[in-house]
Amino acid sequence: MNKTISISRYNPEQDSQPQLQTYQVVSEHSTSVLDALLQVQQQDPSLSLRWSCRMAICGSCGVMINGIPKLGCKTFVRDYPEQLVISPLAHFAVEKDLIVDMSPFLQHLSAVKPYLINAEKSLQPHKQTPAQLAKYQQFANCINCGLCYSACPQFGLNPEFIGPAAITLAQRYNLDSRDQGKAVRMPQLNSKNGVWACTFVGFCSEVCPKKVDPAAAVNQGKVASASDFIISMFTP
Amino acid sequence: MPDPKSASTAYKPVMSRHWWLQHRYFQLYMLREATVLPLLFFIICLLYGLFSLSQGEVQWQSWLTFMATPWVVLLNLLAFSASLYHAKTFFELFPRVMPLAPAALMIVAQWLATFIVAAGLILLLGGWL
Ligand code: FES
Repeated sequence: MNKTISISRYNPEQDSQPQLQTYQVVSEHSTSVLDALLQVQQQDPSLSLRWSCRMAICGSCGVMINGIPKLGCKTFVRDYPEQLVISPLAHFAVEKDLIVDMSPFLQHLSAVKPYLINAEKSLQPHKQTPAQLAKYQQFANCINCGLCYSACPQFGLNPEFIGPAAITLAQRYNLDSRDQGKAVRMPQLNSKNGVWACTFVGFCSEVCPKKVDPAAAVNQGKVASASDFIISMFTP
Repeated sequence: MPDPKSASTAYKPVMSRHWWLQHRYFQLYMLREATVLPLLFFIICLLYGLFSLSQGEVQWQSWLTFMATPWVVLLNLLAFSASLYHAKTFFELFPRVMPLAPAALMIVAQWLATFIVAAGLILLLGGWL
Protein backbone atom coordinates (compact mmCIF):
# COMPACT_ATOMS: atom_id res chain seq x y z
CA MET A 1 0.00 0.00 0.00
CA ASN A 2 1.30 3.45 -0.88
CA LYS A 3 1.44 5.94 1.92
CA THR A 4 2.32 9.62 2.00
CA ILE A 5 4.46 10.73 4.92
CA SER A 6 5.79 14.15 5.86
CA ILE A 7 9.30 14.57 7.19
CA SER A 8 10.82 17.65 8.76
CA ARG A 9 13.94 18.62 6.81
CA TYR A 10 16.62 21.00 7.92
CA ASN A 11 19.93 21.62 6.24
CA PRO A 12 22.02 23.92 8.45
CA GLU A 13 23.96 25.17 5.41
CA GLN A 14 20.88 26.36 3.51
CA ASP A 15 17.81 26.61 5.72
CA SER A 16 16.94 29.06 8.41
CA GLN A 17 14.37 26.70 9.88
CA PRO A 18 13.04 23.17 9.35
CA GLN A 19 10.44 22.55 6.67
CA LEU A 20 8.08 19.66 6.01
CA GLN A 21 8.61 17.64 2.86
CA THR A 22 6.32 14.82 1.70
CA TYR A 23 7.40 11.43 0.39
CA GLN A 24 5.73 8.28 -0.89
CA VAL A 25 6.56 5.00 0.79
CA VAL A 26 5.32 1.44 0.43
CA SER A 27 3.75 0.37 3.71
CA GLU A 28 2.95 -3.20 4.64
CA HIS A 29 1.48 -4.54 7.85
CA SER A 30 4.90 -4.78 9.50
CA THR A 31 6.42 -1.54 8.21
CA SER A 32 7.77 0.51 11.09
CA VAL A 33 8.25 4.26 10.92
CA LEU A 34 11.99 3.61 10.89
CA ASP A 35 11.54 1.28 7.87
CA ALA A 36 9.59 4.04 6.14
CA LEU A 37 12.35 6.56 6.89
CA LEU A 38 14.97 4.19 5.49
CA GLN A 39 12.86 3.80 2.33
CA VAL A 40 12.87 7.56 1.97
CA GLN A 41 16.62 7.58 2.46
CA GLN A 42 16.90 5.22 -0.53
CA GLN A 43 15.03 7.80 -2.63
CA ASP A 44 16.83 10.77 -1.16
CA PRO A 45 20.21 9.91 0.41
CA SER A 46 20.50 13.40 1.88
CA LEU A 47 17.99 12.51 4.61
CA SER A 48 19.81 12.24 7.95
CA LEU A 49 18.56 10.17 10.85
CA ARG A 50 19.88 8.10 13.71
CA TRP A 51 19.16 4.44 14.27
CA SER A 52 20.98 1.23 15.06
CA CYS A 53 19.32 -1.81 16.61
CA ARG A 54 15.83 -1.72 15.02
CA MET A 55 14.52 -3.47 18.13
CA ALA A 56 13.87 -0.76 20.74
CA ILE A 57 17.01 -1.37 22.71
CA CYS A 58 19.68 1.11 21.56
CA GLY A 59 17.48 4.14 22.05
CA SER A 60 18.82 6.08 19.07
CA CYS A 61 15.80 6.31 16.73
CA GLY A 62 13.63 8.67 18.79
CA VAL A 63 11.54 11.14 16.74
CA MET A 64 8.30 13.05 17.11
CA ILE A 65 5.49 11.21 15.34
CA ASN A 66 2.48 13.50 14.92
CA GLY A 67 3.88 15.56 17.78
CA ILE A 68 4.37 12.67 20.22
CA PRO A 69 7.88 11.38 21.06
CA LYS A 70 8.27 7.77 19.94
CA LEU A 71 10.88 5.24 18.86
CA GLY A 72 10.70 4.96 15.08
CA CYS A 73 11.47 1.24 15.19
CA LYS A 74 8.73 0.50 17.73
CA THR A 75 5.98 2.41 15.93
CA PHE A 76 4.04 1.03 12.97
CA VAL A 77 2.99 3.05 9.95
CA ARG A 78 -0.30 1.07 9.92
CA ASP A 79 -1.32 2.81 13.15
CA TYR A 80 -1.44 6.14 11.32
CA PRO A 81 -4.10 5.72 8.64
CA GLU A 82 -4.55 9.49 8.42
CA GLN A 83 -1.50 11.72 8.38
CA LEU A 84 1.99 10.78 9.50
CA VAL A 85 4.35 13.64 10.29
CA ILE A 86 7.86 12.87 11.49
CA SER A 87 9.97 15.57 13.07
CA PRO A 88 13.07 15.67 15.28
CA LEU A 89 12.78 15.20 19.06
CA ALA A 90 11.32 18.31 20.68
CA HIS A 91 13.25 20.60 23.06
CA PHE A 92 16.64 19.78 21.52
CA ALA A 93 18.64 21.79 18.98
CA VAL A 94 18.30 20.32 15.49
CA GLU A 95 21.62 19.51 13.82
CA LYS A 96 20.19 18.25 10.56
CA ASP A 97 16.82 16.76 9.53
CA LEU A 98 15.92 14.29 12.28
CA ILE A 99 19.20 14.52 14.16
CA VAL A 100 19.26 16.52 17.36
CA ASP A 101 22.07 17.54 19.67
CA MET A 102 21.63 15.22 22.67
CA SER A 103 24.55 16.64 24.64
CA PRO A 104 22.43 18.58 27.19
CA PHE A 105 20.67 15.31 27.97
CA LEU A 106 23.95 13.39 28.30
CA GLN A 107 25.39 16.06 30.59
CA HIS A 108 22.38 15.83 32.88
CA LEU A 109 22.76 12.05 32.96
CA SER A 110 26.41 12.18 33.97
CA ALA A 111 25.74 14.94 36.54
CA VAL A 112 23.91 12.50 38.83
CA LYS A 113 26.90 10.11 38.94
CA PRO A 114 25.05 7.14 37.47
CA TYR A 115 27.30 4.35 38.67
CA LEU A 116 27.81 2.33 41.84
CA ILE A 117 29.67 4.34 44.44
CA ASN A 118 31.04 2.09 47.13
CA ALA A 119 34.11 2.71 49.28
CA GLU A 120 34.47 -0.93 50.27
CA LYS A 121 37.56 -2.39 48.67
CA SER A 122 36.65 -6.04 49.27
CA LEU A 123 37.04 -8.42 46.36
CA GLN A 124 33.95 -10.36 47.40
CA PRO A 125 30.93 -9.99 45.14
CA HIS A 126 28.19 -7.76 46.54
CA LYS A 127 25.28 -10.03 47.19
CA GLN A 128 21.77 -8.81 46.56
CA THR A 129 18.47 -10.49 47.38
CA PRO A 130 15.60 -10.56 44.84
CA ALA A 131 13.70 -8.16 47.10
CA GLN A 132 16.61 -5.69 47.04
CA LEU A 133 16.82 -6.00 43.26
CA ALA A 134 13.08 -5.40 42.88
CA LYS A 135 13.45 -1.98 44.55
CA TYR A 136 15.25 -0.44 41.59
CA GLN A 137 14.91 -2.93 38.73
CA GLN A 138 12.19 -1.06 36.86
CA PHE A 139 14.31 2.12 36.86
CA ALA A 140 17.29 0.18 35.50
CA ASN A 141 15.45 -0.52 32.23
CA CYS A 142 16.09 2.96 30.80
CA ILE A 143 17.68 2.91 27.34
CA ASN A 144 18.60 6.63 27.30
CA CYS A 145 16.48 7.37 24.26
CA GLY A 146 15.57 10.84 25.54
CA LEU A 147 11.86 10.58 24.65
CA CYS A 148 10.96 11.67 28.19
CA TYR A 149 12.89 14.93 27.73
CA SER A 150 10.93 15.68 24.57
CA ALA A 151 7.73 14.92 26.47
CA CYS A 152 8.63 17.22 29.36
CA PRO A 153 7.41 20.83 29.07
CA GLN A 154 9.49 21.77 32.11
CA PHE A 155 12.66 20.69 30.31
CA GLY A 156 11.45 22.58 27.24
CA LEU A 157 11.02 25.74 29.30
CA ASN A 158 14.19 25.28 31.35
CA PRO A 159 16.95 23.20 29.71
CA GLU A 160 18.87 23.30 33.01
CA PHE A 161 16.26 21.01 34.59
CA ILE A 162 18.16 17.74 34.97
CA GLY A 163 15.04 15.97 33.76
CA PRO A 164 13.19 12.66 34.02
CA ALA A 165 15.82 10.14 32.89
CA ALA A 166 18.66 11.63 34.97
CA ILE A 167 16.54 11.73 38.12
CA THR A 168 15.35 8.18 37.43
CA LEU A 169 18.93 7.03 37.08
CA ALA A 170 19.88 8.78 40.33
CA GLN A 171 16.97 7.04 42.00
CA ARG A 172 18.00 3.73 40.44
CA TYR A 173 21.42 3.93 42.15
CA ASN A 174 20.13 5.48 45.38
CA LEU A 175 17.80 2.49 45.80
CA ASP A 176 20.54 -0.06 45.06
CA SER A 177 21.61 -1.90 48.22
CA ARG A 178 25.22 -2.08 46.93
CA ASP A 179 25.48 1.68 46.52
CA GLN A 180 26.68 4.26 49.06
CA GLY A 181 26.58 7.32 46.84
CA LYS A 182 23.24 8.81 47.85
CA ALA A 183 24.88 11.64 49.81
CA VAL A 184 26.80 12.84 46.76
CA ARG A 185 23.74 12.62 44.48
CA MET A 186 21.25 14.38 46.72
CA PRO A 187 22.62 17.94 46.22
CA GLN A 188 21.78 17.62 42.49
CA LEU A 189 18.28 16.33 43.22
CA ASN A 190 17.67 18.96 45.92
CA SER A 191 18.77 21.87 43.73
CA LYS A 192 16.30 24.16 41.97
CA ASN A 193 16.92 22.30 38.73
CA GLY A 194 16.43 18.96 40.46
CA VAL A 195 13.27 17.12 41.48
CA TRP A 196 11.40 20.27 42.52
CA ALA A 197 11.39 21.63 38.98
CA CYS A 198 8.95 18.83 38.11
CA THR A 199 5.25 19.70 38.26
CA PHE A 200 4.13 16.15 37.57
CA VAL A 201 2.82 16.59 34.08
CA GLY A 202 3.43 12.84 33.84
CA PHE A 203 3.75 12.68 30.06
CA CYS A 204 7.31 11.31 30.41
CA SER A 205 5.89 8.05 31.76
CA GLU A 206 3.30 7.89 28.98
CA VAL A 207 5.90 8.05 26.22
CA CYS A 208 8.57 5.86 27.85
CA PRO A 209 9.04 2.88 25.50
CA LYS A 210 10.38 0.73 28.35
CA LYS A 211 7.66 1.43 30.95
CA VAL A 212 10.29 2.80 33.31
CA ASP A 213 7.80 5.31 34.80
CA PRO A 214 10.21 8.22 35.24
CA ALA A 215 7.42 10.36 36.75
CA ALA A 216 7.19 7.91 39.65
CA ALA A 217 10.97 8.04 40.10
CA VAL A 218 10.98 11.85 40.10
CA ASN A 219 8.21 11.99 42.68
CA GLN A 220 9.96 9.36 44.81
CA GLY A 221 12.93 11.69 44.49
CA LYS A 222 10.79 14.49 45.95
CA VAL A 223 10.01 12.32 48.97
CA ALA A 224 13.73 11.50 49.32
CA SER A 225 14.66 15.17 48.92
CA ALA A 226 12.12 16.28 51.53
CA SER A 227 13.27 13.71 54.08
CA ASP A 228 16.89 14.61 53.30
CA PHE A 229 16.01 18.22 54.16
CA ILE A 230 14.22 17.30 57.40
CA ILE A 231 17.09 15.06 58.51
CA SER A 232 19.59 17.84 57.77
CA MET A 233 17.60 20.19 60.05
CA PHE A 234 18.19 17.88 63.01
CA THR A 235 21.80 16.98 62.36
CA PRO A 236 24.54 19.50 63.11
CA MET B 1 25.54 23.16 27.35
CA PRO B 2 25.09 22.19 23.73
CA ASP B 3 27.97 20.87 21.73
CA PRO B 4 30.04 23.97 20.79
CA LYS B 5 30.83 22.54 17.33
CA SER B 6 27.17 22.49 16.39
CA ALA B 7 25.96 25.42 18.47
CA SER B 8 26.29 27.93 15.66
CA THR B 9 24.47 26.05 12.91
CA ALA B 10 21.91 24.00 14.83
CA TYR B 11 18.29 25.13 14.72
CA LYS B 12 17.09 25.99 18.22
CA PRO B 13 13.36 25.39 18.50
CA VAL B 14 11.30 27.81 20.59
CA MET B 15 8.47 26.51 22.68
CA SER B 16 5.15 28.07 21.77
CA ARG B 17 3.14 29.67 24.56
CA HIS B 18 0.29 27.41 23.54
CA TRP B 19 2.28 24.21 24.06
CA TRP B 20 -0.36 22.89 26.41
CA LEU B 21 -3.02 22.99 23.68
CA GLN B 22 -0.92 20.61 21.58
CA HIS B 23 -2.62 17.43 22.70
CA ARG B 24 -5.08 15.93 25.11
CA TYR B 25 -2.54 14.85 27.69
CA PHE B 26 -1.28 18.39 28.24
CA GLN B 27 -4.84 19.75 28.24
CA LEU B 28 -5.80 17.34 31.02
CA TYR B 29 -2.69 18.38 32.94
CA MET B 30 -3.68 22.04 32.65
CA LEU B 31 -7.22 21.13 33.73
CA ARG B 32 -5.77 19.46 36.83
CA GLU B 33 -3.71 22.56 37.61
CA ALA B 34 -6.75 24.79 37.02
CA THR B 35 -8.81 22.93 39.63
CA VAL B 36 -7.19 25.27 42.13
CA LEU B 37 -9.26 28.24 40.85
CA PRO B 38 -12.79 27.09 41.84
CA LEU B 39 -11.29 25.65 45.04
CA LEU B 40 -9.89 29.07 45.85
CA PHE B 41 -13.40 30.48 45.46
CA PHE B 42 -14.76 27.85 47.84
CA ILE B 43 -12.13 28.69 50.47
CA ILE B 44 -12.95 32.39 50.22
CA CYS B 45 -16.63 31.50 50.76
CA LEU B 46 -15.69 29.52 53.86
CA LEU B 47 -13.55 32.32 55.29
CA TYR B 48 -16.32 34.80 54.59
CA GLY B 49 -18.70 32.45 56.44
CA LEU B 50 -16.41 32.30 59.48
CA PHE B 51 -16.11 36.08 59.47
CA SER B 52 -19.91 36.43 59.21
CA LEU B 53 -20.36 34.06 62.14
CA SER B 54 -18.22 36.32 64.29
CA GLN B 55 -20.28 39.37 63.25
CA GLY B 56 -23.57 38.18 64.67
CA GLU B 57 -26.91 36.91 63.44
CA VAL B 58 -27.73 39.47 60.73
CA GLN B 59 -24.42 39.00 58.95
CA TRP B 60 -24.69 35.20 59.30
CA GLN B 61 -28.15 35.21 57.68
CA SER B 62 -26.89 37.35 54.82
CA TRP B 63 -24.02 34.87 54.30
CA LEU B 64 -26.56 32.02 54.15
CA THR B 65 -28.56 33.90 51.50
CA PHE B 66 -25.34 34.62 49.61
CA MET B 67 -24.43 30.92 49.64
CA ALA B 68 -27.86 30.04 48.21
CA THR B 69 -27.51 32.39 45.23
CA PRO B 70 -27.60 30.31 42.03
CA TRP B 71 -24.21 31.45 40.68
CA VAL B 72 -22.53 30.75 44.05
CA VAL B 73 -24.10 27.29 44.17
CA LEU B 74 -22.96 26.70 40.61
CA LEU B 75 -19.38 27.77 41.32
CA ASN B 76 -19.27 25.62 44.43
CA LEU B 77 -20.59 22.62 42.50
CA LEU B 78 -17.75 23.27 40.07
CA ALA B 79 -15.31 23.40 42.99
CA PHE B 80 -16.70 20.09 44.23
CA SER B 81 -16.24 18.34 40.90
CA ALA B 82 -12.79 19.95 40.54
CA SER B 83 -11.73 18.54 43.88
CA LEU B 84 -13.02 15.09 42.88
CA TYR B 85 -11.01 15.28 39.65
CA HIS B 86 -7.91 16.40 41.49
CA ALA B 87 -8.37 13.61 44.04
CA LYS B 88 -8.64 11.09 41.19
CA THR B 89 -5.32 12.22 39.68
CA PHE B 90 -3.69 12.25 43.10
CA PHE B 91 -4.97 8.80 44.08
CA GLU B 92 -3.63 7.38 40.83
CA LEU B 93 -0.21 8.94 41.40
CA PHE B 94 0.18 7.91 45.01
CA PRO B 95 0.63 4.12 44.51
CA ARG B 96 3.34 4.83 41.93
CA VAL B 97 5.31 7.00 44.32
CA MET B 98 4.70 4.81 47.39
CA PRO B 99 4.20 1.29 46.03
CA LEU B 100 2.98 -0.26 49.30
CA ALA B 101 0.36 -2.57 47.75
CA PRO B 102 -1.03 -3.32 44.26
CA ALA B 103 -1.99 0.00 42.64
CA ALA B 104 -5.64 -0.91 41.98
CA LEU B 105 -6.09 -1.89 45.62
CA MET B 106 -4.52 1.34 46.86
CA ILE B 107 -6.74 3.46 44.62
CA VAL B 108 -9.90 1.76 45.91
CA ALA B 109 -8.63 2.07 49.50
CA GLN B 110 -8.02 5.81 49.10
CA TRP B 111 -11.53 6.44 47.73
CA LEU B 112 -13.04 4.34 50.51
CA ALA B 113 -11.09 6.26 53.13
CA THR B 114 -12.23 9.56 51.58
CA PHE B 115 -15.90 8.55 51.63
CA ILE B 116 -15.70 7.22 55.20
CA VAL B 117 -14.03 10.38 56.50
CA ALA B 118 -16.45 12.61 54.55
CA ALA B 119 -19.51 10.66 55.76
CA GLY B 120 -18.16 10.75 59.32
CA LEU B 121 -17.70 14.53 59.17
CA ILE B 122 -21.19 15.07 57.74
CA LEU B 123 -22.75 12.92 60.48
CA LEU B 124 -20.72 14.67 63.16
CA LEU B 125 -21.58 18.16 61.92
CA GLY B 126 -25.24 17.17 61.34
CA GLY B 127 -25.47 15.95 64.94
CA TRP B 128 -23.78 19.06 66.24
CA LEU B 129 -26.01 21.45 64.35
S1 FES C 1 16.83 1.65 16.33
FE1 FES C 1 17.48 1.13 18.34
S2 FES C 1 15.81 1.82 19.52
FE2 FES C 1 15.08 2.10 17.52
